Amino acid sequence: MTASGRGVVALASKLARSLAGLIVIVLLGGFAAAALVRYSPGFDVDENAWNTKGGSSAAEASRVRRAQENELLPFYWRYLKAAVKGDFGESESYRVPVAELLQDRAPVTGRLAAWGVAGGILMAALCGWLAVWPRVPVLELVVSGWVALLLAVPPAVLALAFFFREAPIQVAVALAILPRVFGTIRAILRDAHESPALLAARSRGLGTGVLAWRYVLVPMAPRIMALAGVAAMVAFGALVPIEALCDVPGIGQLAWKAALSRDLPLLSALTLIVTFVVASIQAAGELMTPETIHSKEVAE
Amino acid sequence: MIWRRMALIFLVLVGLSAVLAPKVAPYSYSEQFRDSPNAPPGGKFLLGTDDMGRDRFSRLLYATAVSVTLAPAAAALSVLLALVVCAFHGRVLSGLTTIGMSIPWMFLFIILRAELPLNTAPEVSVVLTFALMGVAGWAGPARVLSGSIREMMEAGWMLHARSAGIARWRIAAVYAWPHLRSVAAAQFRALAPAYVLAEASLGLLGLGVAEPVPSWGNLLRDLQHPDMVRENPALLAPLVLLMLCLLALEAFSVRESVQ
Amino acid sequence: MKAIACLVLFASLSGAASQQELRFALHSDPKTFDPLHVEDAASEAVRYVTAGVLVRVNRATDQVLPELAESWKIIEGGRAVAFHLRAGLKFSDGTPLTSADVARTVERALDPKENSPAGDSLRTGQAVPEVKVAGPLDITIRYAAPKPGIDRLFDGIGIGPTGNAKLPATAGPYFVAEFHPGTFLLLKRNPNYWKHDPAGHQLPYIDAIRIDIQQNRDIELTRFLRGELHLIPKIDPDSFDRVAKEKPGWGKSAGASLDSEFLWFNLAPAKSIPEWKKKWFQSTAFRHAVSQAIHREDIVALDYKGHAHPAAGPISTANKSWFNPELKPLAANPARAAKLLAGDGFQLRDGVLRDRDGHVVEFSLITNAGHRPREKAAALIQNDLKKVGIQVNIVTLDMGSLLERIRKSLDYEAALLGLNLEADPMELMNIWLSSGPEHSWWPSEKTPATPWEARIDALMMEQASSTSMAVRKKAVAEFQRIAVAEEPMIFLVNPDFLAAVSPVVKGLQLSVAPPQVLWNVEWLKLE
Repeated sequence: MTASGRGVVALASKLARSLAGLIVIVLLGGFAAAALVRYSPGFDVDENAWNTKGGSSAAEASRVRRAQENELLPFYWRYLKAAVKGDFGESESYRVPVAELLQDRAPVTGRLAAWGVAGGILMAALCGWLAVWPRVPVLELVVSGWVALLLAVPPAVLALAFFFREAPIQVAVALAILPRVFGTIRAILRDAHESPALLAARSRGLGTGVLAWRYVLVPMAPRIMALAGVAAMVAFGALVPIEALCDVPGIGQLAWKAALSRDLPLLSALTLIVTFVVASIQAAGELMTPETIHSKEVAE
Repeated sequence: MIWRRMALIFLVLVGLSAVLAPKVAPYSYSEQFRDSPNAPPGGKFLLGTDDMGRDRFSRLLYATAVSVTLAPAAAALSVLLALVVCAFHGRVLSGLTTIGMSIPWMFLFIILRAELPLNTAPEVSVVLTFALMGVAGWAGPARVLSGSIREMMEAGWMLHARSAGIARWRIAAVYAWPHLRSVAAAQFRALAPAYVLAEASLGLLGLGVAEPVPSWGNLLRDLQHPDMVRENPALLAPLVLLMLCLLALEAFSVRESVQ
Repeated sequence: MKAIACLVLFASLSGAASQQELRFALHSDPKTFDPLHVEDAASEAVRYVTAGVLVRVNRATDQVLPELAESWKIIEGGRAVAFHLRAGLKFSDGTPLTSADVARTVERALDPKENSPAGDSLRTGQAVPEVKVAGPLDITIRYAAPKPGIDRLFDGIGIGPTGNAKLPATAGPYFVAEFHPGTFLLLKRNPNYWKHDPAGHQLPYIDAIRIDIQQNRDIELTRFLRGELHLIPKIDPDSFDRVAKEKPGWGKSAGASLDSEFLWFNLAPAKSIPEWKKKWFQSTAFRHAVSQAIHREDIVALDYKGHAHPAAGPISTANKSWFNPELKPLAANPARAAKLLAGDGFQLRDGVLRDRDGHVVEFSLITNAGHRPREKAAALIQNDLKKVGIQVNIVTLDMGSLLERIRKSLDYEAALLGLNLEADPMELMNIWLSSGPEHSWWPSEKTPATPWEARIDALMMEQASSTSMAVRKKAVAEFQRIAVAEEPMIFLVNPDFLAAVSPVVKGLQLSVAPPQVLWNVEWLKLE
């Protein structure tokens, strides 16, 4: 076998292991979530039980609907089997198939989150650059003050303020993400800025673009990927209250409602998806690490 | 230098007022002046009163005591846990952080509240809530820290140090820690205010700080009603205070890192 | 943004001439459009304006009026009711509506497999009425024993067509034409609605209703004030005051509603409560003292901004037909409360109340988190009781955890909640019958624990089985007297019913019985 052939095999086996790991993680995550929901108080009481109009029939109907959710393991097994075929069960709180709900709402949240993550990271990078590169303490303080202000405002309140002024909520999401990734981005930039290699390169007069690529983006890729994962999670975490409060019909609003009404099928589906997204970002990050590139070089 | 000193003075002041809240506050946080609900700022009440006639200034002081001590403690706990966990870096860890970041921890709080006796003193339940927040929040910083560690393991100096046969603990303490510290500090600074705010949302589920105990979180909840803020800008006081604290913390650490 | 707003404005203006659209918001998605399976408030709101019913109770006068049934007779001493339908009735999709549809609907409501909440009101215990079709327009429903208010029951039974379409055809003023979950639903006028105004114009007047799903009430209020919504069917006191200030005359109050806010102690033999605490809770004097120490007028003034009335008992003062006028709201009297406690062996030392055996008097009060009026009422009560030396620990829980405690685990000491009730005391059965699953202080009691509970059971059964209004009223009046004398539930206030309506909506008749605003939707006009 040639050296490069061995490299390909190594890469393929790494890919396969990543994929297997991903599946295991998603399954475990889904199970952990289902267990948490199932064993939290209020699981088997109907949310409308506090309402005389519900009467005993409503309670009975709810009991019948949820009977198969009582035994956690069999429930999860059945759920996974159906989920493979794209059937995520029927939402308890909406009485609509979960798949349908997700289909309707995923684009809304997806757009918001994408804008938010991209905008947030870009703005944070800009702020970080302003704070690190020019080496002007006052500028650094102004930027820090701005970030601190953003950090102090609850994302939902920020979004509401935008909403009431009829301004785009995407910007509010980005502004909510900015301060939460700023610290790390600044640390990355600072490390890069102070690294001897970069100093040497600068003294040789290399262009900023080349510098940014070769000495910031490439070596920092694992950290940036980890950051993107965190930013995506922050975005989703922030979108739950934002969507719930600003009445955006997205996944976040679903998650909030599902949590309050112990909607097991819906919450399981949401966790499976979220775990999948996070794990994929993680796996992508790992596959991109210099280790992979490195091992290839060694193989050659 | 002047910034650093001002920041320090401010933080000490906030800390002092938090510790001395029972002595400094003109009234108890729960005392209700039922004849003067929603009083405007000034006169008897520095920041006015809320809708049950409780002095907003006193409530802010007590809230500061709750939030200024507990949220950073919880953040520190998360970062510490993350550091400990990162010692065992590898595939299993990355899987665990993924799961840790994805599952709805909220239910853990609901379960905690269910397991606590109902007559648990409010102070105890507040501390436990923040502690659980700290524990549940390990995954985010662990993710970022393990990314840094991985990157560090590939660095030239690390390879040099390892090939030179320097003991592992020595590498960790002398070479690796200074590198990790800035990342850990950044995580801490992002988490502390996040926990102040998280407590507010947990309050909506009855899992945060319950009536009548004030916290920055539940005072900030009033900001959800824009017209209330317009009528009484004193509602912004906790926001301003939180912001100033973050700023002071920032000014403090900026100098530190430049040095 | 402005340009779009202008376009929208023009579009709606130009459309206004031909198409009138009433706009308001609901706070969550309706879970079902099947009138027999309605449980949640949103579905109920939609049912009221879409489902066709045999008779309709006029919410303003409490009279039973003909709807799909042109006439009816209560026969066999109140055991049966015979309805005669209007000729030529049709569902919104054009299929004819006959007595067979009515029979099928009623039978479906009663089918145990359906678990229909609407069917609960038709049953008496386990007994099920017999349904008999006497012709295409005639149908009789017969019970084994007399059933009080037998005709009124059918105000709540929406007659549906065959099949189980997602958006079923209706026989009421509107039908659901579009439903976009989480966003909005569009109701269009039923082209086959039978009702006409005296001038011969087919009702309803308004062509369509757009109902936005709007969870956030601040957003709803802002949109209302901007003119994007025509009405807010139920508004909280703070927002009501803001409407009154910014748009004088747009806020509408119907006075005290039928709803009650109350607190109660756990009297069930729960393991989690220490024996000595059980003794306090079971003492009528203790309960009276707590009730007497609470400043209801402060709850009204501070919590509800004056938009509530102190409660006098289990039935709201607003319920003119059933409220026992002998009862008066309890004025706060801490001195009397202290005396009652002293008489029961409690001692107040250094501001701390202790029982006969020296235990400090302290209990936890649970209420639902996120419900501002209740959280505030709890804080007020906490302060009131502190004045007589009782320490109250407030615990706010999410609804799921709360229900788990008060219905299943019974692990709580006292709870503060409220109920939305309708006028007829039949509804009180679930709460006050000791065997009832919603019997607050001890759900599903096997046998009444005290003589007064046994007496309340007897009175409840009496009012539920008699067709004589006088007999029922007497029983209900005595029940109220006992409820106040024993105070297993401490009634606090009856919040006012508040709504906000733009002046362009004409023909509104606000009532205290639900649906307070839209019960005569077919007569509403937009100007």
